[in-house]
Amino acid sequence: MFWQQLINGLTLGSTYALIALGYTMVYGIIQLINFAHGEIYMFGAFAGLFLVTRFGVNVFVAMLGAMIFCMLLGMLVERIAYRPLRGRSSRLSALISAIGVSIFLSTLMVLIRGPQTDRYPDTIEISSFSLGPVQVSSLQVIILLVAALLMLGLQVFIHKTKMGKAMRACSEDLDASSLMGVNVNRVISFTFALGSALAAAGGVMVGLYYNAVWPYMGLMAGLKAFAAAVLGGIGSIPGAMLGGLCSGVLEIFGVAYLASSYRDAIAFGILIVVLLVRPQGILGKPISKKV
Amino acid sequence: MKLLRHRRIVALLTMLTMLVRLAAGCGGAKTTSGDKTGGTESGDVVKLGFLGALTGSVANYGIPGKKGMEMAIDELNAAGGILGKKVVGIYEDNKGESSEVANITQKYISRDKVNAIVGDPCTGLTKVAAEICQKNNVVIFSAGATGTGVVEYGDCVFRNTLLDKFAVPAVVDWMINTKGWKKFAVVTSLNNGYSTALTPVFKEAIKAKNGSIVIEESVNDGDTDFSAQITKIKQAKPDVLVFTGYYNEAALMQREAQKQGLDIVLVGGDGLYGQDLCKLGGKAVEERVIFYCGFSSDQPSPETAKFIKDYRARYDEDPDMFSAQYYDAVMILAKAMTDAKSTDPAVFKKELAKVKDYPGVSGNTTFRPDREPIKSPICLITIKNGKFALLEKIPVKVE
Amino acid sequence: MIVMEQYLTQYIDPYYVRIAVLLGINIVLALGLNLITGVTGQLSMGHAGFMSIGAYTAAIMSIHAGTSFGISLLGGALMAAAFGFLIGVPTLRLEGDYLAMVTIGFAEIVRVVFLNLDIAGRAIGLSGIPSETGFLNVWLVAVLVIFLNTRLLKSRTGRALYAIREDEIAAQASGINTTFYKIFAFVIGSFLGGLAGGFYAHYMTYINPQDFGFMKSIELLNMVVLGGMGSIPGTILGSVVLTLAPEMLRMVAEYRLLFYGGLLVLMMIFRPNGLLGDVRWYDIRKRLARNGVKSYGTA
Repeated sequence: MFWQQLINGLTLGSTYALIALGYTMVYGIIQLINFAHGEIYMFGAFAGLFLVTRFGVNVFVAMLGAMIFCMLLGMLVERIAYRPLRGRSSRLSALISAIGVSIFLSTLMVLIRGPQTDRYPDTIEISSFSLGPVQVSSLQVIILLVAALLMLGLQVFIHKTKMGKAMRACSEDLDASSLMGVNVNRVISFTFALGSALAAAGGVMVGLYYNAVWPYMGLMAGLKAFAAAVLGGIGSIPGAMLGGLCSGVLEIFGVAYLASSYRDAIAFGILIVVLLVRPQGILGKPISKKV
Repeated sequence: MKLLRHRRIVALLTMLTMLVRLAAGCGGAKTTSGDKTGGTESGDVVKLGFLGALTGSVANYGIPGKKGMEMAIDELNAAGGILGKKVVGIYEDNKGESSEVANITQKYISRDKVNAIVGDPCTGLTKVAAEICQKNNVVIFSAGATGTGVVEYGDCVFRNTLLDKFAVPAVVDWMINTKGWKKFAVVTSLNNGYSTALTPVFKEAIKAKNGSIVIEESVNDGDTDFSAQITKIKQAKPDVLVFTGYYNEAALMQREAQKQGLDIVLVGGDGLYGQDLCKLGGKAVEERVIFYCGFSSDQPSPETAKFIKDYRARYDEDPDMFSAQYYDAVMILAKAMTDAKSTDPAVFKKELAKVKDYPGVSGNTTFRPDREPIKSPICLITIKNGKFALLEKIPVKVE
Repeated sequence: MIVMEQYLTQYIDPYYVRIAVLLGINIVLALGLNLITGVTGQLSMGHAGFMSIGAYTAAIMSIHAGTSFGISLLGGALMAAAFGFLIGVPTLRLEGDYLAMVTIGFAEIVRVVFLNLDIAGRAIGLSGIPSETGFLNVWLVAVLVIFLNTRLLKSRTGRALYAIREDEIAAQASGINTTFYKIFAFVIGSFLGGLAGGFYAHYMTYINPQDFGFMKSIELLNMVVLGGMGSIPGTILGSVVLTLAPEMLRMVAEYRLLFYGGLLVLMMIFRPNGLLGDVRWYDIRKRLARNGVKSYGTA
């Protein structure tokens, strides 16, 4: 049972990790908890569903389409709701603005298509095979692979490209980067696009794997992914991946070995304990206070 | 500059007072100036207030309910209304939140002066409204509250649902004696009041009939990941899986079971009666889900058949339990008002309590002396070829 | 009091009275949160957790122990304050968004615990709570809370709290016991949250763990930030706007939440520091005085 539950946990965790990456990238640069991120993930899931059902495209093509759609949506949200606030208000105002966007987007989806749950058509034949005592489904393998590939791609992008370098510079010091000739607005816009694209990929994969997409799916997933990002050390990209996987595995083990009725309590309880021991998260940089 | 900032504050305060006036004005225009006692005769229309969520996470119970109610009201008006008065439905969205329900109920009673309130589909929210309705002597007719302690609020409170405490023993008896299932896995949806109330009823019945519960697990409404629970259930090797929650989670659980190679039948209550069960579950629920409910669209009574046909024609979709129960609630209210020859809640509530063997679209309804509804027989429904199919009809014995 | 209450509901539409009562409860809640987040600068996103502890404790006391309304309220408030202390302690180690996460987690844990407690009625909720809350007792307490809060913020303690928000290290260097004051803010804030929770429970007569979810915490935070962080008149204004907005937006029916969300964004864009950011009663009076209205002494 242990190995089976571990696989369950890794699958769940990799979806958290993909959403957590978006949170952490945005946070790393402008210290904003982008509360609308969960809703972007939800829009991604629906965009993918729309492409699959209306145009009958392959799921992977749909995922790509959803990623492009969410890139634009993420940039639009940033332009309308966050940029006007930047530099002239407290971070909390931006947070409230993000919450406003989140409420707006989820309601918009309900108005577009109703509140009911929808499922992805079975485009991929599910086959499961045994690995020793463990049953692994082909979908799990696909999800783990896609997640790993996207995360690897992100790492390469951030460390090998010019834009990646600019992003890293901005997360070190926004003002200094601006003085060095980095177009800060473009970098931030790009960060939103990248984070949103990853969330969209997560949304399509969750839709595919758990087979359920609904307009309020973003809230709890967003909350848990945010918790995962904090656990890993918010602002740290490897931290978000690790935090996501850890949260997924811990949550599943909580159900498996403690009690399923306390599922969310266990997940958040562990998070609190970890933060008390390591206030900056697992891979986060310790905050040094400037006097 | 200082003057400017000062002006802003004044402007803000002015704006605020204007908004308050606006709210008052808008509401005021709609209400007819009636007497202050609330809920008594209110002119030449009969007003029915709708309780249910149109947005929020429980909106998929409220929206079909609203459709059922609208349809019933239109049919009544086409037939000349109630006692010659036109029927008007008032629909507010309560988002599934207690404080919203309380505000709306109060608004219906004191501003709209409704004759009766129909809803809410959730037991807890019905209780919030029932407290206010009973105080103001306005009839509330819930179309979905199955939990305990609802009609106990007083003689203005009614409900039109299949009560689990009568149905479950019959279903458990059928599972053990007809099917020979002895080992049960029981799964509850922890944040769902309906499910938390239904689980003890099932557990009691299983114990009374000498079945054994090998594992108990819980999930949450809105969860999509059930992998850990299914892995645990698979290990416990039960004969049957009892799930007391709603259809979304049931469908997803069966899909997860299929993924993990667990072939088991899931049995539940009428909370599973939603078209989405087949849609979401696909092949995984095919003959693998059985639930009980008051009516069957497979071999319907003439009333039900007509309702389903009209509903499809009007909304281009199949009705579910909530649309049927809201429809019935309106029709039963209309019957009581007609019989009482009055639309005054204080008068027609007595007629309402006397309803016996009403052939509604959600089943035959009789109110016991304590105003609890009894519906018999109950239908066991399964899924064949992606559609609900009647498996068996079993009678319900009530003391 | 009861006679006056009846007198009131006879001449004013009970619908308005109901909204006024909820407004009073919201003001107490928001002022509690304002103390923690607005004044002291400790981002708390789980205020509904304290509210639910107060609500459940008070309700269970009233139902099972048969205590009088006042005692139940006090019990609920004290219980919430005790948990506020428990959460206040980790704030010594955590900052900003990490603290926010802990408070979110705390509120979620509280919700799950109530979902598992038989005495709290689990997801079925707790019904049959005596109906005790009315317009007069709520507003009596709300006005008292506003008054005491104003006094507090004008005192040495209040200045110490503001100082912690502005610059914790500088505050510490100036000899302010930041540890004490941060926990103090949490305890008082959660006490008020619990108090309001007790009022809420005895008003609705039915409570359910879902009433105190994450969105409720967010709604309360909105009141504080929208009105203006750290400002008492601002917090009150925020509570008024956000309590009335959903009622007024009823005319747009199902588009209501769409407007609500859009409104939040627009308000933040046009008034980024809240409607009355850091405005105190004192400032308002000063402005009024300057424009020829009679001055109220030194203030």
